[in-house]
Amino acid sequence: MSAEVFVAIYAIAIMGFVAWNVRRGAFVIDPSKLAPILIFIFLVLVVVLNYAGLNPSIAAGTLMKIGAAGILFAGTIPMISAAVGLFRFGDEFGPNIFYARNHITGVIDTVASLVMIFAGLLIYHLDLVAVGFFFFVLIPYSGNALANAYYYSYQRRLGK
Amino acid sequence: MIDMTLLSALADSAFFWGAFVFMVACSIAGLGAIRLALKGEAVTSLMGVSAFTTVAGVCLYLIQIIFDVEFARDTAIALLVLGAVGTIVFARLFRMEEGR
Repeated sequence: MSAEVFVAIYAIAIMGFVAWNVRRGAFVIDPSKLAPILIFIFLVLVVVLNYAGLNPSIAAGTLMKIGAAGILFAGTIPMISAAVGLFRFGDEFGPNIFYARNHITGVIDTVASLVMIFAGLLIYHLDLVAVGFFFFVLIPYSGNALANAYYYSYQRRLGK
Repeated sequence: MIDMTLLSALADSAFFWGAFVFMVACSIAGLGAIRLALKGEAVTSLMGVSAFTTVAGVCLYLIQIIFDVEFARDTAIALLVLGAVGTIVFARLFRMEEGR
C-alpha cells in the first residue's frame, strides 16, 4: 500500500511540473541546471542507501528504474496535449491546418522517441535506445516529406 | 536499515504504473491519429497512420518490457522502423505528379 501511495505522489509531482512547463510555454527550471541537480540527488541517494547497508550497484539500478518511471510519467502530459490538439483542429480551420497537424504528429513522434531513448538508458534496454535513436533521426525526414507532398498536391489542385 | 525488498517493490510498482499511464496517453493519441487517418485527404491519412504506428510501436515495446512478451518487441521494431520509412517513401510517391 505504501508503494502505491509513493507512486501516486511521485506521478502527481512529475506530471504537475511538466504541465506547469507546458502551460507556461517555457522551462520553469532551465535544463542545464535541472539535469545536474537530478544527477546530484541521484548520487546522494546512492551514497545514503550504501551507508544504509545496500549494495551500491543494486541501489543505483533501483533508483534508475524509479527515474525511468519518472520519464514515462513526464511523457504523458505532452502526449495528451498532442491528442487534444489532434481532436480540436478540424477541417473548419482551412487547408493550412495540415501543417499544424503535421507539427502535432511530430510532437507525438518526438515524445515517443525521447521516452524510448531515456527510459531505455535508465533500465539498461539498449535495443530500446537503438530503435528510439533510429526513429528520432527519421522524424524530421518524414515530417518534411509529408509537408512537401501536401504542398505540391495542393498546388496541383489549385492549378486544375 | 532500509529493506531492499521494499525498495525493489517500490521501483517495480513505479515503473509498472508509469508504463501503464503512458500507454493510456498513447491510446488517446492513437484515437486522434485514427480520426486523422479516416479523413478524406490522402496525405492526411498517411500522417495519421504514421502517428498511429508510432504509438502502437511504443505501447508494444512497453508491453514487452513489463510482461516479457518477446514477439511484441519484434512487432514493435517492425512497426517503428517500417512505419517511418514507409511514410517517407509514400510521401515521395504522393509528391510526384500523377501519371509519372
